[in-house]
Amino acid sequence: MLTQSLGLFPRIPSSSLLSRGLRFASTEARITVKPLNSRKTLLMDTYKELMEKNPVVLFAHHNNLVKQEDAFFRSQIKELGGQMTVLRNQLFQVYLRNAHLPDPCAPTPKAEQNRTHPLLPLFKGPTAAITFPETEPAKVAKLLKLLEKSSEKLFVVGAKVDGGILDVPQLHQFKTLSSKPELQSQLLGLLHLLSGAGLVKTLEAGSHSLYLTLQSHHNNIDPENKKSD
Amino acid sequence: MITKFFTKVSVRFNPFGKEAKSARLFLSAIPPAQRLSGTSIQNELLTGGSVKTPIVKVTFKDKTEMEVDPSNLTFKELGNYFDRYSRKLSLKESIESQ
Repeated sequence: MLTQSLGLFPRIPSSSLLSRGLRFASTEARITVKPLNSRKTLLMDTYKELMEKNPVVLFAHHNNLVKQEDAFFRSQIKELGGQMTVLRNQLFQVYLRNAHLPDPCAPTPKAEQNRTHPLLPLFKGPTAAITFPETEPAKVAKLLKLLEKSSEKLFVVGAKVDGGILDVPQLHQFKTLSSKPELQSQLLGLLHLLSGAGLVKTLEAGSHSLYLTLQSHHNNIDPENKKSD
Repeated sequence: MITKFFTKVSVRFNPFGKEAKSARLFLSAIPPAQRLSGTSIQNELLTGGSVKTPIVKVTFKDKTEMEVDPSNLTFKELGNYFDRYSRKLSLKESIESQ
């Protein structure tokens, strides 16, 4: 891993390198509120990754799970291809406030923070995030069915699906949809049926006209260059 | 908060509302051992559009029911409200056990 990233060294001021504490002469120092190697900075980076890499994130309230219950839920969720992470509310709220910024750990004036993020009210009490790396409503449906039986221990209070915020009834609607690739292929099939060549032409038109415009601009500029030379 | 005398707890709240904090803290204040020993816990989630009001309802050992709207209470106030009756019960219990 290290040798790989050293190979890429001069060109990439990658934040992932910085978050791992690696720094080269060419990369800028990462400025964070808490020390760079502290647990809080690490957790913030983890939350950033958790929210950005997983299209489906469900937020659940957990009631004093005893060890076996915790292990049971974790194994069941793992079987569905998800993962349960217990969140630290204050840190997650800080992340949400700074989520739109390139580095949520950097010191930020209050005016630039997003203090009205729609997910913020969910972090009042013990909260866990259940993440899925793919948008598959069927799996969400299975999970909700599993949690229905034991709602006194763990229940979903809200969700983030593909950038949209859902409350519980909306989530129950979402779980009845078919999966994303299926929907996309359905849409594609529909478009093919409806249009044939006409639609393809329309879709192409934008880029085509841009090309023509640029080409004519290029032609306009060229002779002038020659004159000035 | 004294939870020893609760036999049934039902909580209704909107997780995005301001009552969520005290309602959720109340739910998590009930120890897991009690959940295993028979206290039933029910919860119902509301949405922004629903007409029902948020509520915390507790049934005690002697079948007394108490309910309160958590919207304008902190968790501490909520605890104090139910403790008032729990203390009565614990006093009664200590007198009877003698």
